[in-house]
Amino acid sequence: VKGPEVKLPMRRLLGLLLLAAAFVLGATAAQAHPHVWITASSEFIYAPDGSISGVRHAWTFDDMFSTYALQGIETKTKGVYSREELAPLAQTNVESLKEFGFFTFAKADGKKEKFQEPVDYFLEYKDAALTLHFILPLKTPVKPKQLAVEVFDPAFFIDFKYADKNPIKLVGAPATCQMKFERPNDGTASAQRLGEQNFMNGDNSNYGMMFANKITVDCP
Amino acid sequence: VTPTSRWSFARGLTICVAAAFAVLMIDGIIHALMAQTPFGVPRPGGAAPQAGGIVEWLLTKQSEFYREMSSTIRAAKSDGAAVWTLLAISFAYGIFHAAGPGHGKAVIASYLFANQETARRGIVLSFASALMQSFVAVVIVGVCAWLLNATAKTMCSAEKVIEIASYALIAAFGARLVWTKGGGFIRALQQARPPQAAPAMALAAHHDHAGHGHDHHHHHRDHSHAHAHAAHHDHAHDHHDHGHDHDHVHVHDEHCGHSHGPDPSELAGPGGWRRGFGAIFAVGIRPCSGAILVLVFALAQGLFWAGIAATFVMGLGTAITVATIALIAVSAKDLARRLSAGREGGGALIMRGLEFGAAGLVLLFGVGLLFGYLAAERVTCF
Repeated sequence: VKGPEVKLPMRRLLGLLLLAAAFVLGATAAQAHPHVWITASSEFIYAPDGSISGVRHAWTFDDMFSTYALQGIETKTKGVYSREELAPLAQTNVESLKEFGFFTFAKADGKKEKFQEPVDYFLEYKDAALTLHFILPLKTPVKPKQLAVEVFDPAFFIDFKYADKNPIKLVGAPATCQMKFERPNDGTASAQRLGEQNFMNGDNSNYGMMFANKITVDCP
Repeated sequence: VTPTSRWSFARGLTICVAAAFAVLMIDGIIHALMAQTPFGVPRPGGAAPQAGGIVEWLLTKQSEFYREMSSTIRAAKSDGAAVWTLLAISFAYGIFHAAGPGHGKAVIASYLFANQETARRGIVLSFASALMQSFVAVVIVGVCAWLLNATAKTMCSAEKVIEIASYALIAAFGARLVWTKGGGFIRALQQARPPQAAPAMALAAHHDHAGHGHDHHHHHRDHSHAHAHAAHHDHAHDHHDHGHDHDHVHVHDEHCGHSHGPDPSELAGPGGWRRGFGAIFAVGIRPCSGAILVLVFALAQGLFWAGIAATFVMGLGTAITVATIALIAVSAKDLARRLSAGREGGGALIMRGLEFGAAGLVLLFGVGLLFGYLAAERVTCF
């Protein structure tokens, strides 16, 4: 009864099932599309001795998320939100962002650097959009030859896009330092990364990496 | 091999080949239509993976539709006709969003595969789960934001509780499936041994019957299996005094009696609908983050009703995609059943093994989600 004519389709079926399972698992591991859009601009803050002490972010949320975040917040004047009225929300924001490492990943000469709790954080409401301002101080100020900072959401729930004008500023950096900024969408680099990233390889935890904004500062 | 089963193989193979062709064709068409990547740059020379092409495209499409929603809702404030645009976008978004990655579909598909479900049941369950998701989203926003004017933080806490409940339910549901299907698999393993070992085998089968008798209705699903049983049943007769329950013997006889061409609805077994709705409840109580955002936004614009309509239309779109996936799962199971029907004992073993595997997958999803090994769509909490 167990002739070869039985075994062949059976094997095919098993192959098909394996493929289906791989697809389902691979697809599950990969994340969905962005639900939140952030237009960012950042400043790298340098100490007088030429070491970098932290990053100051200004993140403007899209109007849908801004509206969502403002839900239920009472104000004196309807539609006008003062910095004080938004203080509790800003507090929630920075507390929640901690879980995600503030979507800011720094490396000094190839070594991972850690950040402290954010300081000087506040929210600003303008043109139907919320902007979150905060400073991320480095745990220990560093003076590396090369500093590499990436801003992105590994799960790509948030799409980070740097502002067209003055996306990155170096504040107080030594004159010899050179800054290079690479957007996720510009040209061949991202296409190549897309090609390399295989959705079926089962390791999609860093799927959002394709959408990383990369900033490098070389101080020879 | 009987002519019937040979015909089944031919048909099964045809379905297989047709499905493969369909996938390849769709992918080809998509690639042809999108001569470049969704990011506006030419594809690097042929290095792009096939599945990646589709997933990438789906992600981009749903992202576009989603982004258009907020501007359309804004437009609807002054222009009533924009509501129709909103509904159209929501529908398309639902279809594309569901076609993308998501644990819900994986759980439903695995459940349908683990059980002998009909296509009709698969479709009904898909629609019920998608519409339930929409309903839960409307209730959360309706109660928290509209009635109580709670903050996003409160709403998100509610979502998180529901999320954990959903994962726990999926895990519990998966555990139950594994328990049931595991029993069937172990029995099939024991019965699939070669008939030369008949005397010893009879004893083993006998013990097995006594131990797991409560579950028999679950694994008398295909006639090849029933045949195997009939054979063991004969062997087992000699050992009746080892405590074999007479009630079970009657059950066996009944099943052996009408083992040819069973009706699919019978195969699903009693309580099948209840089980099925258990699955969709576990999946469906977790609303989609996108729907919550859209609803709150619509509420703030004074167009809550439009948001609700959009959410349900979104659910309808989702249902269509999930139903398609459900149909694939049901057909795959059907195909597997046909192919294995040609083999006596061994076919049943493979079927039970596959069901056990699918049940395990449901459990794995639940546990993985619960403990954060698998990431679902993030709840908007910041």
